[in-house]
Amino acid sequence: MTPVVNTPAIARRRSRGGKLLHAMRRAPGPTLCAVVIFALLIYAFVVPLFSLNPFEFSGMSVLDSFIPPAWMADGSADFPLGTDDQGRNLITAMAYGMRTSIIVGFLSVTIGLVLGGSLGLIAGFVGGKVDAFIMRVADVQLAYPALLLAMIIDGAARAVLGAERSVGTAMAIVVMSIGIAFWVQYARTIRSSVMIERDQDYVSAARITGRSNLSIIVLHILPNVMAPVLVIATINLGIAIITEATLSFLGIGIPVTSPSLGTLIRNGNNFLQSGEWWISVWPCLTLVLFVVSVNILGDHLRDVYNPRLRGRS
Amino acid sequence: MSASDFLILNHVSKVYRRSQSLLERLKKGEAGGTRAVSDVSLTVRHGETMGLVGESGCGKSTLARLVSGLMAPTSGEINFPPNAAGNKPRLQMIFQDPYSSLNGRWTIEDIIAEPIRVHKLRQGRAAIRARVDELLVQVGLSAADAEKYPQEFSGGQRQRICIARALAGEPEFLILDEPTSALDVSVQAQILNLLRDLQKNLHLTSLFITHNLSVVRIMADRIGVMYLGELVEEATSEELFRKPRHPYTRLLIDAAPDMDTSDRSLHPIAGELPNPAFPPSGCRFHTRCPFAQDICRNTVPPQKTTETGGMFRCHFDLDLSNASVFPPPAKVKTA
Amino acid sequence: MITSTAPLLDVRDLTVTINREGGLVTALDKVSFFINPGEVLGIVGESGAGKSITGAAIIDLLVPPLKRTGGTITLAGTRIDQLSPKAMRSVRGGRIGFVFQDPMTSLNPVITIGQQLCDTIQAHLKLSGSQAKKKALDWLDRVGLPNPDVQFKRYPHQLSGGMRQRVVIALALCADPMLVIADEPTTALDVSVQAHILELLRDLHRESNVSMMLITHDLGVIAKMADRVAVLYAGRVAEISPVGELFNAPKHPYTRGLIRATPMPSTTGEMRLDQIPGAMPGLGSVPPGCAFNPRCFKAEGDCRATIPPLHHEASSAFSCFHPLERVNA
Repeated sequence: MTPVVNTPAIARRRSRGGKLLHAMRRAPGPTLCAVVIFALLIYAFVVPLFSLNPFEFSGMSVLDSFIPPAWMADGSADFPLGTDDQGRNLITAMAYGMRTSIIVGFLSVTIGLVLGGSLGLIAGFVGGKVDAFIMRVADVQLAYPALLLAMIIDGAARAVLGAERSVGTAMAIVVMSIGIAFWVQYARTIRSSVMIERDQDYVSAARITGRSNLSIIVLHILPNVMAPVLVIATINLGIAIITEATLSFLGIGIPVTSPSLGTLIRNGNNFLQSGEWWISVWPCLTLVLFVVSVNILGDHLRDVYNPRLRGRS
Repeated sequence: MSASDFLILNHVSKVYRRSQSLLERLKKGEAGGTRAVSDVSLTVRHGETMGLVGESGCGKSTLARLVSGLMAPTSGEINFPPNAAGNKPRLQMIFQDPYSSLNGRWTIEDIIAEPIRVHKLRQGRAAIRARVDELLVQVGLSAADAEKYPQEFSGGQRQRICIARALAGEPEFLILDEPTSALDVSVQAQILNLLRDLQKNLHLTSLFITHNLSVVRIMADRIGVMYLGELVEEATSEELFRKPRHPYTRLLIDAAPDMDTSDRSLHPIAGELPNPAFPPSGCRFHTRCPFAQDICRNTVPPQKTTETGGMFRCHFDLDLSNASVFPPPAKVKTA
Repeated sequence: MITSTAPLLDVRDLTVTINREGGLVTALDKVSFFINPGEVLGIVGESGAGKSITGAAIIDLLVPPLKRTGGTITLAGTRIDQLSPKAMRSVRGGRIGFVFQDPMTSLNPVITIGQQLCDTIQAHLKLSGSQAKKKALDWLDRVGLPNPDVQFKRYPHQLSGGMRQRVVIALALCADPMLVIADEPTTALDVSVQAHILELLRDLHRESNVSMMLITHDLGVIAKMADRVAVLYAGRVAEISPVGELFNAPKHPYTRGLIRATPMPSTTGEMRLDQIPGAMPGLGSVPPGCAFNPRCFKAEGDCRATIPPLHHEASSAFSCFHPLERVNA
């Protein structure tokens, strides 16, 4: 049998590092955003290692309160961004706040992803009545604003568990409520991808070989439908953080001893009118910077992963 | 049923029900439906390649899916008599589209090894990898291709990978659903030659489905012609071309343009393919048949057997061995 | 090349490149051919050879990153490769009609076919609304649709594939162009419908004497429809011959390989299909010298070193240093 003359590989093969560098060079905007996100992550997780939680310890002096940022009159080099009403160094306060926000955001996105992803996979693959049921539940849930839903779940948990809860429990409740409020998006996206993939011939080939449905879903279909969902998750990170911030702003999120950026903003809001703008503006700006960077990066990733756009390089 | 019968189809039908409107449901009438496959009976013998040929809507792909077990028939039986060991024979399938039949996220090694792993045909990574390499060489690729991904291969190469995967399952029965229809002519020639060699060396029994009569002629021992879900003729491939018995077979052979430049005449089949959901009464082909008579419109034609063991469905015993025998169809406007 | 009349379409050294990450890749490399008035030129090749790109390049419908970067295209004496986009728009449809491959996607699904015909007619001919409608109905009848007044109001999805393709042909011809480019007009159709469409094309060609450029991969279609044939390989012209000569005495080894690899009803079970080893090089992977040399049984040193130019001889042309002798293929 004449061996086939192997045509040269159609896709050029680069090393992993080479691919990343190349991608970065071609998209300076998203690369910058990635750098910003990384910097903020370091800020949020490293700074708290070197300073005490200003909301738990009374190491601050009330005499230090309301000090404006360093470049203004009355400012002090000890507090580059100023202090709040309790004399807390805003830099430290924001680091702790950012850390809480990111953890909550990340965890709630994960819960939404796992919940929505599983339901979407089942609905898309099984079809029929199961699909109809899951999608109707999703439709009903979509009629409620996510924020309202999160508040309802939070309120219900409070009622059940009583007013006394630890910080950990409170965080868990917030994470769960945001996660449950947002699962529908993941489910819908995964479901439509699954419905396309399940009709592909490679799935039929796996069936003929004798694979069970579950192993087909996990080994064959899941790798092919994950990409768009992961991109949505990236974008939703920003939304989750803002939702948590809103909940905290409204006073129903995490208790004051472990505040998030939302709490800080809420706290600072009281003093905006009297001119101490920096207490809420800095947390606000940090929040915006983080969320915008995540959104731009997520947008870029979505374009990169869109197979339809891939040919037009 | 003789000892050499490998696959028996007995009056197999597949009906897709139309979803009924509320009014229809209230009237509790008979649910109408498209008979994608209608009362097909067929026997495939051991080691034989059975070809199934027809145009779109004829039901050949549906029949392939029924035989493979991906779909269940609405009525009728599909029977694989158990082999010497008492088991059902192992079955593999090769699909038409080389781009959707390979999982883009899996390496070639994993793709080909899947049937080996599922059926536990080899033990241990080394043994599996050795077998994968062996199969890759057998289909004309190289062992180095095992680490690559499907995107790095052309259509023809992908089909080779599909063939390797099918062989990895050590099947006794191979279903090929238009395996070369999406490929270029020169690549098709390579793949068809490869398939013929494999079928001969491995003593496979196969079902070869295509719309291309010339392809099925070289690949199949026996050929079945399908029209609108029915099997209208079945004969050995030599007999089918030399002496077809059903008018559709004759017209189909003539309709495809050959490479003869001295005779540039074209031979379209009059009329258009009827809607499969509303097939014509009596003989389904009567709306386009140059020999149609009243009886064809009213009565379903009987199934007749030929001297050589073939079958055809026609009221008449026509001699269609010569292309120019029958009157040219009148210039009928398409429906 | 001796011609009694000037060609209707004269394409010289047409070059199309594609902009890929890493640089420019040649899709069409100095392709030259011509079409005489009233003639049917078949353009045959496998996928990736560049035949569809050729058709699109002529009417300037290349989708970026494809770009026409060289050569001249002359239609009835006028250079059309240098026209402004506005002028080109009147050429498209008005002087060159185009029949696309897939009737499912080449018709607008939300506009009735009658309306689409009228729009095209009015865009190119100065006719009033009622005159255009009459002409449209005329064309629907000419392409073999029964009850044209009923079909006029129908939408594409209500017609079968064959009927849709007839509408596409009507659209291509309704403005009385000089040249029709048909890109794989029957590939998406069943064999029986294909024969109808080919017959229609041939009838219309005979009636109006419009020139035709028929692009296909199907050698059978070429044998029945074309007067002359150009064989494309890897973006270059391998051979141009009158159709009888191409099949009976091909010059280029690729042409003969292609003919022998095509199964025909006369090929009986014992005959093995002649296969050409290897595969056509993809874009950017064309070997130096003759593109076909790695797969050619006649390849020698000069084939690997230099790209063979298109050499004209009597009625045909071929780019090969060692063409096949005039033995029956």
